[in-house]
Amino acid sequence: MGLQGFGRLAVLIAAVAGIAGPAHAATQITMWSNWPDEPAKKDWVAARVHDFEAAQNQCTVKLNFIPKADIYTQAKSAVRTGQAPDVFYMEPDEPEFMTGGFLEPLDSYIDMAGVEDWAKPAWTMKGKLYGLPVEAYTVELYYNKDLVKKVGAEVPASFQMTQAGFADMVKKGVAAGITPIAEGVGDRPFPGGLLLFEALLRKLGSDDYAKLLNGQLSFKDPRVVEVMNWDKGLIEAGAYPKSFSTLKLGESHFYFYSTPGALTFPDPSWFTGRAFAAPESGGMPANFPLGIMQFPAMDGGKCPECKTLAIGGSFVIYSKSKNKECAGALLKSMATVENGTKWMEQVSLQTGVKSDSSKIKSTHAAYFAELNERDKGSKFFFGTPLLYYRGKCAETYAQVMNNAFPAGLLSVPEAADKMDAACMKS
Amino acid sequence: MAAIAMPRGFGRGALALVIGIYTIYTVAPFLWLASMSVRTTTEISFDHYAWPHPFHWEQFRIAWVDSDFATYFWNSTWVTVGAVAVVTLVGAAAAHALARYRFPGNRVIYGILFSSIIFPPQITLISLYQILVDYDLYNSLFGLMLVYISLQLPLTIYLLEGFFARIPQDLFDAAKMDGYGDIEIFVRIVLPIGMPAIATTLILNFIQLWNEFLFAVVLITDPEKRTLPIGIRAFMGDHFQDIGMIATGVMISVVPVILVYVFFSEKLIRGMTAGAIK
Amino acid sequence: MTTGVNETAAARADSAPPTRSLADPRRTTWVVLMIFVAPALIVYGAMTAYPAFRTIYDSFFTIDGSDVSFVGWSNYRDLTGDETFWIAVRNTFIWSFVAPILDVATGLLLAVALYAGVPFARFLRVAWFTPVLLSYVVVAILWMWIYNYDWGVVNLGLRAVGLGWLASSWLGSPNLALGALIVTHAWKWAGFNMVVCLAAIHSLPGEVLEAAELDNCGWGAKLRWIIVPMLRPTLLNLYILAFIGKMKIFDLVWIMTGGGPLWATETVSTYVYKRAFNWNSFDLGYPSAIATVWFCVVCAAVVILNRLLRSTERLEY
Repeated sequence: MGLQGFGRLAVLIAAVAGIAGPAHAATQITMWSNWPDEPAKKDWVAARVHDFEAAQNQCTVKLNFIPKADIYTQAKSAVRTGQAPDVFYMEPDEPEFMTGGFLEPLDSYIDMAGVEDWAKPAWTMKGKLYGLPVEAYTVELYYNKDLVKKVGAEVPASFQMTQAGFADMVKKGVAAGITPIAEGVGDRPFPGGLLLFEALLRKLGSDDYAKLLNGQLSFKDPRVVEVMNWDKGLIEAGAYPKSFSTLKLGESHFYFYSTPGALTFPDPSWFTGRAFAAPESGGMPANFPLGIMQFPAMDGGKCPECKTLAIGGSFVIYSKSKNKECAGALLKSMATVENGTKWMEQVSLQTGVKSDSSKIKSTHAAYFAELNERDKGSKFFFGTPLLYYRGKCAETYAQVMNNAFPAGLLSVPEAADKMDAACMKS
Repeated sequence: MAAIAMPRGFGRGALALVIGIYTIYTVAPFLWLASMSVRTTTEISFDHYAWPHPFHWEQFRIAWVDSDFATYFWNSTWVTVGAVAVVTLVGAAAAHALARYRFPGNRVIYGILFSSIIFPPQITLISLYQILVDYDLYNSLFGLMLVYISLQLPLTIYLLEGFFARIPQDLFDAAKMDGYGDIEIFVRIVLPIGMPAIATTLILNFIQLWNEFLFAVVLITDPEKRTLPIGIRAFMGDHFQDIGMIATGVMISVVPVILVYVFFSEKLIRGMTAGAIK
Repeated sequence: MTTGVNETAAARADSAPPTRSLADPRRTTWVVLMIFVAPALIVYGAMTAYPAFRTIYDSFFTIDGSDVSFVGWSNYRDLTGDETFWIAVRNTFIWSFVAPILDVATGLLLAVALYAGVPFARFLRVAWFTPVLLSYVVVAILWMWIYNYDWGVVNLGLRAVGLGWLASSWLGSPNLALGALIVTHAWKWAGFNMVVCLAAIHSLPGEVLEAAELDNCGWGAKLRWIIVPMLRPTLLNLYILAFIGKMKIFDLVWIMTGGGPLWATETVSTYVYKRAFNWNSFDLGYPSAIATVWFCVVCAAVVILNRLLRSTERLEY
């Protein structure tokens, strides 16, 4: 054959080996994702990784699914010692990774047109995008159509009750022995504040609400006090379960759509992650009369059509990664309209990646239709309180507004004092 | 056991009642956990205290096979047994020297080794992490084992030193007279006589390391290297706590600990009843 | 004492240290000492010393991402004004001084019961030790269910005997949460104290107890005048061990209440963890300062406890 021929054969063999076989020449990147216990999201992530690996052969991905609490502990330790994975899960309420320089800007890697414009600010610093916003959500008020009717409360055609109407429904529920609002803060720092802060948003309007969350408006402002007093009234009437302080988020789902049942359930729209699981795994029963209503309009409220929109799970690249090319390519492959559509279809949840709503074929079409109905005409405010609150203020929010105040342990002035002391920027 | 009479009459009845209640108080939660390990989460959510019906033995198979508990189990075994063996030996040697011999710096060394119990692990975690990275032991079971040894060493020395110090000096004087070397004394006298304390420390170390969580979660990130407590965490997801599987995982995790305890407590009791003097 | 040394002993004695050491068995060569102590010191030096000193070092800095800036005593000054820190200190002190008494007393009583020869002693010994075997995660989960307001055993029991008005959210009420946690922790540890006390009682000379029996001493008197005084070193050891353990307590509190409600169960360790991992910053300086201060406090407390309570003689019998 001769040396040259042999050489050509060797090259040919190497080329074939490169295409046919994995690993030898390929770089392996590590990826940590959340959602080990949410099959829909887990499958979406696994499918994206699989598609990515199938479409090219320079990069392979070692994918781990880790519960959220552990991911944060691990990530925070790992970035400090240079051991963080190439791609990992992060939510925008941990901006210290971004500000600390541990994340790589994505501008040069992904197609920026594939990300919704409203989703970009959560991850933008100094004009660069640092995270791919996969999970987006709105804060909704789910309710049990049958039970609400049963206690004699009426849901108006606009699906938005008045302040008094909502209080009335709470009283009727308590009288009938049905918990009006299923909520539990046993393992989360935010659910207890949902009703109150959504009400504050509708009362104050976007601009002043933003001021409140940025520590520029006092909790002793008369409008805020008015809303807090209304909320206090509900609390004292017995709106929340007695086990509120220790009920876990997962248990509160069960409380709402199974045993013992409740009238309403304020929850971000990732409600579907658990609700649409099989009933044996703790999902919603098949013919549960699920309804979605708007949070009640406040008297003299500036913006009854306002609604909170936020970004949840996102993926970021470690700035000290040695395989940025592969990591960037992976994220690029994830950020397409097709994948965004798949997310909405399979997970029944909004996404920060652009999607084509006309192409969504889902078994939960009815739910989606109703969700879109409620969101139509809404003016979106971006971000939940914990996106804005930091450090001591976030801790105080978790202890006071999320836990103690709805549990009836604090009066309105006490709660307002504590929040101001921790959050006001004077 | 001792030939001492039990309290008579009313005392006996009251004692029996108290002991009975206390036993229920101690054992009932564990039995409840055992019953939940063969029920599915849905069944449990509907009625928390019902008797299992049917017995979902397949949960054990699911945990062992599907959820990789077999791997986690062996990882935990190798790390814990290794760490406990080393820390007991090293700790006993140091405790003996500190308890028995007078030398300058004795109390200082004791103080240094003891005081490291006091540092909260949440803080030393980061520095320890850095050390492992520097020694290239990050994400390795061996590295975790070394960390575990260093975690339990102060406690081991503290417990053993206290016990060894109370062994009567006469034994050592006699042994020295008989010409025994120091190391022989350690092996032939201190270890056998100190067996109750060593068994106690061994049991305690084993339990604490078998169930150790914080360092394992941070220092091990490869799924194949995870230890059992991390494996159980996988059932405690964000949205959904698989209570039935958690119980199953815990039962799997608890069996070796019980075995170790039963085995070593025999040694402990034998040591106790044999008596130090004889 | 140097009489009666025979040939075989002399042969062995050749390899033993020189005469001076033979005369005082409490002294030996540095070589031997090193063999015993060096491994422990190496482990300490390699793995414990650096993190310990690093923590103290870090407490004088503030870390912001990757920038480290020296701030001197500023972290310590902030500590004095930190309300949450002082609440955590108060809670931890309550826990550390009160709970060990409960732990050790229960352990002692259980051990005495076993020693006195209750029936099924062997089964009880294992049964009473079971909680010690469970991990904190499991204990936390179990007791969260036990304390559950709606279907937990405690409230169900209270309602069943007509004391329903006492039923409360045990972990959700700021007044009750700390006590509830202490009970849970005691449940887990009583068995360990029992085992140690049992071993100690067994190593007491039997004659003393038998003599007391002959004198018709009741168990109360036996306990008070004989067992407790003779067991004093053991009991104090256990108390100090429990004390230190509770000064550091983290896992149980973190899982069951996370420091709430309204910081009623916030301990120094949970606060350190929050500042190091949850405070939306990478600053290790402030939590390191807390850890350093706390280290000094615990050391001081242990030394004081030792001085106050311990007798310094070794028990010779």
